[in-house]
Amino acid sequence: MIRVESLVKTYPSRKGKPPIKAVDDISFSVAAGELLGLLGPNGAGKTTTVKMLCGLIRPNSGQIVIDGKDLTQRRIAALSKVSAVLEGNRNIYWRLTARENLEFFAALKGLNPAHVRGDIDHYLELFNLTEKANVEARKLSRGMQQKLAIAVALISQSRVVLLDEPTLGLDVQASYEIRQLLKEIVHDQGRTVILTTHDMNVVQDTCQRVIIVNEGRIVADDSVHDLLDLFRVRVYKITIQGVLTPCQRASLLDMEQVIIKEESPERTSISVRLEESQVLYGVIGILGSNNSLIESIDQEQNNFERVFLEIVEGGTQGA
Amino acid sequence: MPKKLLLIQAFFKKEFIIYRRYLLNSLGGMITLYVVFLLLLGGFQGLRTLTGVEGDTVEGLVVGYVLWFFMLSTYQDVSYALRNEAKEGTLEQLYMSVHGIGWVMGAKVVAAFFINLMLVAVLLMAALVTTGVTVNVDLFSLFPLVVGTLLGSVGIGFAIGGITLVLKRIDSYTQMVQFLLIALVAAPAGRVMWIRFLPCSYGSNLIAQVMVGGQHITQLGLGNVTAMLFIGIGHLGLGYGVYKLCERKAMVQGTLGHY
Repeated sequence: MIRVESLVKTYPSRKGKPPIKAVDDISFSVAAGELLGLLGPNGAGKTTTVKMLCGLIRPNSGQIVIDGKDLTQRRIAALSKVSAVLEGNRNIYWRLTARENLEFFAALKGLNPAHVRGDIDHYLELFNLTEKANVEARKLSRGMQQKLAIAVALISQSRVVLLDEPTLGLDVQASYEIRQLLKEIVHDQGRTVILTTHDMNVVQDTCQRVIIVNEGRIVADDSVHDLLDLFRVRVYKITIQGVLTPCQRASLLDMEQVIIKEESPERTSISVRLEESQVLYGVIGILGSNNSLIESIDQEQNNFERVFLEIVEGGTQGA
Repeated sequence: MPKKLLLIQAFFKKEFIIYRRYLLNSLGGMITLYVVFLLLLGGFQGLRTLTGVEGDTVEGLVVGYVLWFFMLSTYQDVSYALRNEAKEGTLEQLYMSVHGIGWVMGAKVVAAFFINLMLVAVLLMAALVTTGVTVNVDLFSLFPLVVGTLLGSVGIGFAIGGITLVLKRIDSYTQMVQFLLIALVAAPAGRVMWIRFLPCSYGSNLIAQVMVGGQHITQLGLGNVTAMLFIGIGHLGLGYGVYKLCERKAMVQGTLGHY
């Protein structure tokens, strides 16, 4: 559905500041019906990439093809397949009601509002906005405004939906609702969704695949499941009864892969990054040297936040 | 219904809703316009200077003022709208329309023009009834001339709107444009040939010939009317060209939707 090849964007120098390379030769593709998370720290190039996909920022080089149409050469044809929520709750007209917004943006996408009245009702219901259909957007809560902005993106019937930080600033309940809606959109309607976010719960809960960018480059591109697996097998938590002897402590601290996490007179926890099995035998050997009683060896619960930090901070190349 | 008409209809509905929703503000504008019409119909010549229109007849004053009002509003419908959409965060959505930004802004101008036309017609009628004055206006001759003249102000709107996309906060300069529009209307296009090539000047000169000289559009000469329309289209094209250049620069800088 989307093919991005060798995309480069350097913002020209302004007011004496040097040029900024925001996106540095990235390539990826997204299949129809896929929900892709585009992640990265602030300034990594996520929003620039999304805005280039929307045709709002001109790349220096590279190619973007949407549903077989080159965005540079056939801009309008390519963009007819795309809708986006880029500014969160600011993408809608605050002085229009929820229904009026949906009608207006349908026309903007070339649809007859009279013909999509059923769709408008459907999205109002899907997004729990039916009761607020005739309320001005400015009077809705932030979560409702955000939901309305997403509904506006969906009313166009475009196959690709780009969402820049769809849960930013939302409370737990509203964020959860939007996550469920995103899953429904992909599952029930087969739309292709690309979202950028800093919220790792959103990624873990909704995305099938993630691309992590850092300093304008892709540092990981894999399924959420595989990335979690890749990191999950490496970290073990060993808990022993009592405390470590000074000798044990010194030996363990000599090992790069070991972190002593908690120590109390009752028990001590040691975190071991298991890059090769020999490390684990080494740690067990040290603990056995003083007959320390191992209470448990647990695989540490991994979450995507940890994976993300490992990749971004460690510069690890994913699959 | 063709998609472009649907787009105009959508903007018409949106503009009308906002007009109605902010009734108090809208009423303020309507009262001002009504008072201006009363003064014009009462023969208040001071407004002649304000609008820069030629001619001493009541009809001349009214048409001159209406022309200036439409020039100003069409200019603002493009340039101010681009700035406001960027400010509100909706400009990027307009850019992603399947119609293209040129048609989108064009539809907005046409919708706003018809709303203003209705407003002016109703208020002028009310002012005529109030004052008991009758005016004899050749609408058949005036309409194409006014539309041709407004092409120039839309072109200026696009050019200024484009510059705003790049330079952002230039409000104090954009306000000067309304005085430029007065100068363009008042410029002696009938006497000085090159002035005819300025935006809106030739059109306002032909309108003055209809209003002051009492000529019908057929008496103006097909060549003159056609030339005026081509000049208007040229200014529209030029303004749009400036806009596209600025838009390209904003897209390179990544500042298109910023304000």
